[in-house]
Amino acid sequence: MEAVLKNLASTAELLAVASHSAAVEQWDERTLSRAFHWAQYCEHVFFRFHNNQAIRGAAEKQLQLTAQRLRAALPDHHQVAFSDLFRCRHLLLIGLLNNPKLPGSIMKILFDTKNPVDTKDNEYQDVTGFCSRLVQYKSACKVLRPLTDQSLVGADAEVQGMMLMTRLSALLGQGSDACRTEHSLDSVLQGCEGQEEHFCLVIAAALLTPEDSPTTIASQDFLLNWLQKKHNVLQGMCSALHTTLLGNLAKKHVKFRGAYTDLVKRWASDMEYSVNDGVWFQTHRSPTVSFQKLSEHFQTLFEACPADVEQELTALKISDGNFDISGLSIWGDLLSVLTK
Amino acid sequence: MSQVLDIQEMQFWLDKVVSWGQADSPDTQRDSRLHLGRLKEFLQQVLTHISNTSSTTEIMERMPFLGQFLGRLCWNSYITADDTSRSLLFQCLWGLYSEHPSTAVERKANQWIQKVLCQLTTEEDSVAMPHLMNGLHVPPTEYHLKVLRKIVTMLQGSIGRSCSSLGNTNERCSCDSVLATSEACVPLVKSSEAAPLVSALLQRPVTCVKAALSEHFLDACSSAYSSQRLSLEEPAAVSLWYHSLSSLEEAVLSLLESVLTNTGSTPQKLEQLIAQSMLPKACAQHCSIFLVTNDIFRSILKQAEGHEPVKCLIQTFTSCFLKEMTVLQSQKCVSVKAFFPQSPQRLLVPLLTQPSEMPREAWRHHLNWLSSSLQRLTEEEEEDAGERSSTTRGYHTVFEAWFLLVQCARWVQAALQLLVSSGPVDAGPLLWLLTFYYHPTNRGHGRALQLVRAREAWSHLLSLSTAEAGPLPAGHLQSLVTLVSTQPQQPSQPPLLILSLLIGFTVFFPQSLSKSTEILQMVVGRSGLVDEAACVLCSLELRLNEGSCSSSNADGVHLRLKALQNTLTHMHAA
Repeated sequence: MEAVLKNLASTAELLAVASHSAAVEQWDERTLSRAFHWAQYCEHVFFRFHNNQAIRGAAEKQLQLTAQRLRAALPDHHQVAFSDLFRCRHLLLIGLLNNPKLPGSIMKILFDTKNPVDTKDNEYQDVTGFCSRLVQYKSACKVLRPLTDQSLVGADAEVQGMMLMTRLSALLGQGSDACRTEHSLDSVLQGCEGQEEHFCLVIAAALLTPEDSPTTIASQDFLLNWLQKKHNVLQGMCSALHTTLLGNLAKKHVKFRGAYTDLVKRWASDMEYSVNDGVWFQTHRSPTVSFQKLSEHFQTLFEACPADVEQELTALKISDGNFDISGLSIWGDLLSVLTK
Repeated sequence: MSQVLDIQEMQFWLDKVVSWGQADSPDTQRDSRLHLGRLKEFLQQVLTHISNTSSTTEIMERMPFLGQFLGRLCWNSYITADDTSRSLLFQCLWGLYSEHPSTAVERKANQWIQKVLCQLTTEEDSVAMPHLMNGLHVPPTEYHLKVLRKIVTMLQGSIGRSCSSLGNTNERCSCDSVLATSEACVPLVKSSEAAPLVSALLQRPVTCVKAALSEHFLDACSSAYSSQRLSLEEPAAVSLWYHSLSSLEEAVLSLLESVLTNTGSTPQKLEQLIAQSMLPKACAQHCSIFLVTNDIFRSILKQAEGHEPVKCLIQTFTSCFLKEMTVLQSQKCVSVKAFFPQSPQRLLVPLLTQPSEMPREAWRHHLNWLSSSLQRLTEEEEEDAGERSSTTRGYHTVFEAWFLLVQCARWVQAALQLLVSSGPVDAGPLLWLLTFYYHPTNRGHGRALQLVRAREAWSHLLSLSTAEAGPLPAGHLQSLVTLVSTQPQQPSQPPLLILSLLIGFTVFFPQSLSKSTEILQMVVGRSGLVDEAACVLCSLELRLNEGSCSSSNADGVHLRLKALQNTLTHMHAA
């Protein structure tokens, strides 16, 4: 273990040098490649031990000590947190590219544009063209992304949803307690502040991932339980997502259907009828839901499970007096829209 | 001064990149696509200009807007997605980078270049992405690669969906996206990540009027494929040839080149080369591909009519093509006639029928019929041509008949085999057929004269072969050597007709191997035509390999052929 901690400390030093020291002027292809290998090693260490509290704690402490020592020589240095190590190569890259002393020769290696076929025999193929490839991936995504606008979720949310599932499976598989897993999920949500709508898409994509294994089923179940506790997220999803997507979720997950039904029923019960305008409207909810939108939601649920919805609405209508006149019972009016 | 860039052109491109801005709007993409080729040329000029100038300070003085121009280009993802443009762009930036900056301008330029590249690599468009990825422990490079793969899979799926609105131009269908997708793929054809999408686009069945692929896309695929920067599976390559004439031409010409630079290779190798080109299969699948390929062969044959390797290539190619046709015909009904619209239709089926598909006893009748039909056809056309002095149509028909015979040259070998094995009986039509194969016209090739020489050679060969034991009759031998060594009309060409008669006799005539070897050694040795004889022997082997040799004596013939080949090899070495 000591050796691992020592290596982490050395790599933290390496990152500091790469970012702030004039020593990079002496770097060549070999140095660069070795630096990348060390950074990659730290990524492995991260994934191996990030759930092990004891080792993680020791590593954090080691990184802290190293940072203190480094700051004496390099005042601009920021500490590398253990939680950042999963993208250690990227940190190395950012450090290098922001270091004013970085020699042109190193940049040329990173932005090499030779055909990957030509670099096969290259000893340093992992670093050669690393940035060029990243630029290519990003550019290609930008060029092609507008063509996928017919997809309800979108490629980004779909990939993120899949990664969320992977992360959840890992957390649950490693025997983390539910509380810690929830905490992780909360912190992901916190990171998405201001982007809630996008986060709703990610959750939807995660829940729609094909259930190809017991771990996927367990992860989705965990996510559904979490969602039931997070009224804001659920409400956000039901307001923001396309009803087709909500319908797919309702068809696939009974738990989601239940939560969704409860939510739209709550919305419906908040409706009042304006005799003057002849319409149902909401008084104290923000943002408000129109009768039209509400009936779309019920239509979606009706398509997912016709018998349940009809039975429930009929019962509610009867409890309201079972009149066949519009404007008296929201349930009666919704039912008449559905059975039209 | 060639170093100075055209100021007007620089201004044009500067205006262009300013108008493109950073937005990846469809308009920007469309305009970028239209200008991509010209832009690459311009960047190349800029690069040359930069490398011809001694310092960055000097470049900046001459072209103060260059930095702005290159900087803005970095943010056009259509340009940075394209391998070549990105490479040129980066090279231009390196050109402006000073290893040892000596002035403030140069130091500033270095800083600026580093900043641009840093932003290009590390900036993310989406605000949520970095937070989300930190929470999920996914490094950016891995993330972007995954998204790219996802997008490619999604688009592959959406363009793969079949369209049912055949011919109905008003209905909206998934094909609307095919053109747009193919256009967006122009800068990505060399990217291995986009390869499945490129391949799916190429293979999309044309079921809808709206499913056309962009010309720019086809050109880009074609050039990437020929420079081996795009690797395609067989069906995708065939589709590319189907859609793009230039790429098909390139494939055929490259096959011709590889065959003709590999002369002297074995028949098996030739067949392998042809099969590897995937062209025979493509030809069987798409009549239009066959017609184009055949047109190229036609014109090559016209230029090199006596060139035996070209004839061998065409014959082997046709035979590979017919094999593929047989496979295909078992699946769907295809008419062979559509593939040979220019050939004399009367001769088509009789020639395309393989000798192995017919009982050996029927060969004589079949070959006599072929010979007399061809003879009549040439006589008619030559009479016509005599009457109308400047006609080409007549020769056209003769050429097409001859071209078909070259394609189906197994019958020529069958004629030779039959001629030799049946002795002096009824040799006229077979000799004529062989003469026609080597000397198709009377005017240019002196067919009539060649026929006389062939008869003469043949009778000498008969006399040599039927002579009593002992030394070979010197008179016949000498006459034969004289016939082989002189070639009237076309002195530059080897006397292939006489040589093939000689080889035919040594291989097929029922006589001892030692006698065959002796005749071959004598005639070839005295006339000095060892290489030419080896070549004729090789093309005979090729035809025998194609299964036209009757099975009972096939092994014997092959052994004899190998022995004779060895003899020639030793003579060559000696």
